[in-house]
Amino acid sequence: MVQARQRRLTAGSRGAFVGRPGKPGRSRRPGHPARPGRLGTPRRRLLLALLLPGLTLYTLFIVYPLVSALQYSLFRWSGTRQSGFAGLANFGDLFTRYPLSEQVWRALEHNVLFFVGTMLVQNTAGLTFAVLLHRSRRGKRFLQTVFTLPHMVSPIVVGYLWSAMLNPQFGVVNATFRAVGLDALAQPWRGDPNLALPVAICVNAWQWIGFPMLLFGAALAGIPEEYHEAARCDGASAWHTFRRVTLPLLTPAIGIVSVLTFVGNFNVLDLIYSLEGSQGNPAGATDVLGLLFYRTAYQNPDANAIGQSSALAVCMFVLIFGTALAASRVFRRMEDRLK
Amino acid sequence: MRRRGALFAALSVLAAVALPACAPSTDGGSGDDKVNLTVLSWRPEDTTGYQKIFAEYQKSHPNVRIDFKGIKATDYLAVLPNEVKKAQGGPDVVQLKPYGPIQSLIQGGDLVPLDGKVDVSGWPAETLDAAKGRQDGKLYGVPFALQTIQVLYNKKIFADQQINPPTTWEELVAACDKLKKAGITPMATSGLQPWVLAIAHQIFGATRYGAADFSAAAVSGKKTFTDPDYLASLEVVKQLQPYFPDDVTAVDYPDAQALFTSGKAAMYPGGSYELGPFEKTSPDLDIGFFEAPPAPGSKVDHPVTSGWVDGSYGISAKSPHQAEALELVKWMATKEFGQQFADQLRQISAVPGTTPSDPTLAQMLKNYQDHGVPYMMLVSFGYGNPLGRDVEGTALQKMLNGDASASEAGKEIQKGIRAWFKPGSGG
Repeated sequence: MVQARQRRLTAGSRGAFVGRPGKPGRSRRPGHPARPGRLGTPRRRLLLALLLPGLTLYTLFIVYPLVSALQYSLFRWSGTRQSGFAGLANFGDLFTRYPLSEQVWRALEHNVLFFVGTMLVQNTAGLTFAVLLHRSRRGKRFLQTVFTLPHMVSPIVVGYLWSAMLNPQFGVVNATFRAVGLDALAQPWRGDPNLALPVAICVNAWQWIGFPMLLFGAALAGIPEEYHEAARCDGASAWHTFRRVTLPLLTPAIGIVSVLTFVGNFNVLDLIYSLEGSQGNPAGATDVLGLLFYRTAYQNPDANAIGQSSALAVCMFVLIFGTALAASRVFRRMEDRLK
Repeated sequence: MRRRGALFAALSVLAAVALPACAPSTDGGSGDDKVNLTVLSWRPEDTTGYQKIFAEYQKSHPNVRIDFKGIKATDYLAVLPNEVKKAQGGPDVVQLKPYGPIQSLIQGGDLVPLDGKVDVSGWPAETLDAAKGRQDGKLYGVPFALQTIQVLYNKKIFADQQINPPTTWEELVAACDKLKKAGITPMATSGLQPWVLAIAHQIFGATRYGAADFSAAAVSGKKTFTDPDYLASLEVVKQLQPYFPDDVTAVDYPDAQALFTSGKAAMYPGGSYELGPFEKTSPDLDIGFFEAPPAPGSKVDHPVTSGWVDGSYGISAKSPHQAEALELVKWMATKEFGQQFADQLRQISAVPGTTPSDPTLAQMLKNYQDHGVPYMMLVSFGYGNPLGRDVEGTALQKMLNGDASASEAGKEIQKGIRAWFKPGSGG
C-alpha cells in the first residue's frame, strides 16, 4: 500500500516539479469568475454527484476502518466480542504492561533508526545518483530504469530474495567473500543483533533508491541552467554551486522525499517480516511497530488482543499522521522562503 | 436533462461498485437439497487426503457434501476470527490451534461446547486439555493430531561414518565430534527462529530440568525458571552450539531443513511433523530417529519423548447446519476417522487406539505413550503474551549470540512468563 502511495505521489509530484519555476500561482481563467455564496446551484449539485462515488469508496475503505479502529481501541475485548467500554485502559496497557511496555519503545527506537538510516543511505545515494545522471548524456534512461526496477517487486519477494543471498550456508554474498579471500567479511548478516537492522536498512534502500532518484532527477531538470551559469561567473566552485544553488532549490523535492520516506518507514512490515520473521529476530533486534502490531493482533493469546492492537494502531496513526503533517508544514515554510 | 443524466451515471457507477459487496453469498448454489459443510484448515497440503477421507463419510451420509478449505498456516490465525464472525458463508467446522490461541475464540462465543455431545470417553485428559476453555473447563474441539519431538538422523551418513544412534550423552558427543571431523555438520537447527530453538531445548534439555516433574512444579509455583536445573538445561543447548551449523543464529528454519534433506547435516532435532515434508523434498532420504540421551546431571535418568496435541476440530457457533456439523465432528472422534487420518495424511492421530501405518511414526507414538512428557512451554505456558516458547527461544538466541548467560536468560524467561501467569491457577 505504501509503495502504491509512493508510486502515485511520484507520478503526481514529478509533473509538479518540472513545471514549477516561473509558473504563476493559482490564477483563474478570465471569463470564469467564481460564484461564492450560491450554494445548491445546479453546477454544485453536478459536482456533488460526480464526487459521490469516489467519496463513498473513500469513506467506506479509508475513513470507516480508521474510525472503527479508534472505536475498537476504546473497548475491552473477550476474543472477538466487545465486553464493555474501557476508556483509555488499552492505551495504558501499551505503556505499562510487560512485555508490551518494553516492546513498544524498542520498536519505536528501531523505526527511528530505520528512518534515519534510510535517509542517510537511500536518499543521499539517490540524490548523488540523480545529480550524476543529470549530468551524464549516455545511458541515462537505461540507468534510471535499472535503478527503479526493484520498485516493481513486492517487498516480501525482495525480503526472501535477500534472505537467500545473505544465507550463511548457501548464500551468494558470503560465498563471494570467501572465494576472494575476504573470509573476515563473511558475517551472519541476519543473525547478528548488531548487523540485522543495518542490513534491513540497506535492503530497503536497495529496493527504493530509484524513488528519490527519480524525484530529485525531475527537480534537477526544473532548475534553470542560468542559475548555475551565474554562480560560475561569480567564481563559485562546483561544490559551492551545488551547496548554495542546487540544494536550496531542491527543498520541495527533499521535503516530499523525506515525508514519504518517513511514512513508508514507520509503516514498514512486509520487508522486515520476510527478512527476520514476525518476531523481529534475532532476539527482537529488528522488531518495528508494524511487526509488533501484527503480533499483538494475530499472534497474541491475550483475550483482549483486538483492544490492545487497535490502541497500538491508533497510536501509530497519530504519530505518523501528526509528524508527516508537521514536517510538511515546515518544508512548506522553507519553500516559501525560497520564493 | 443533461444534469439528470450525469447524476444518474454517477449513481449507477456507485451502485455497480457497492452492490456486489452487499449481495448475500448463496449456499453452494448447486440446486439439490444437500447440505454443504465447509471445513476450514491451516493445512492446504492435506486437501487431497481429506477429500479421500470425506468421500468415505459422504457415502454413509448422502445428505451432506463436505468442502475442505485450506488456508496458509501462517495466515490462519489472522483469518479464522473473521471467518467465524461471518453471518453468512462462514465455515461450519474449523481446525483450532491448541492450548492458548483457542481461548479468545471460546471467550468470544464463536465455538459450540461439545461436552456430552461427542464421545471422548477413554481419551487421555491431557489430550482433551488442548481443546478446553481455560476459564469454563468445557470441551470445544475434538483433537485430531499428536506431534512428538526427537532427534531425526540421516541413516546413510550414520552408516558411512559407522555411527550408531547414541544411547548416552558421551556417545552423542563422540558422534558429533566424528561427524564434524569428517566435514559434516552434526546437527541442523535454526537459531533465527525462536520457536525452533525452544523445541531443540525441549528435546535435549527436558531430562536435565526434570521434565514433567519440573513443569508441574512450575505450574504450581513451587519452582521458577531461575531454578538451577532449568538454567542448566538452557546451558545444554549452548554446549551443543559447536555442533550446530556455523552462524546458527542466522540460519532460518527452511535453511535448517535444507541442510538436513540435502545431506549436509547428519542430525535434525525436530518433530514428527517434519517427516512428510522431508519425504516430499527428498524421497530417497532414509530417516531414522532416536530419543536424546540425558545430559550429565539430568534429573530424569532415561530418555523421554515430548509431545503435544497439534489441533482440534470445533464447530462454529454461526454455522447454520449445527446438526450436520455435530454429526461430522462426532465422526472425527471415532477410530474410523482416526485411522483414515493416520493412513491418508501420514500423521499421528489423536484418537486413542489408532496406529500410524508409517513404521517410524508408529514407533514415535509408542515412545510417547510409553514415556511421553508434555512440551512444557506450549502445553502449560502457551496461554498468554508472551508465549512460553517465544520468550524461551528469544532468550536462547541471546545465549547463542553470546549476549546473555544462562542465569540472565532464565531471569528474562521468568519475567516474561510472570507477566501473565499466576502460579497455581494455571494462568
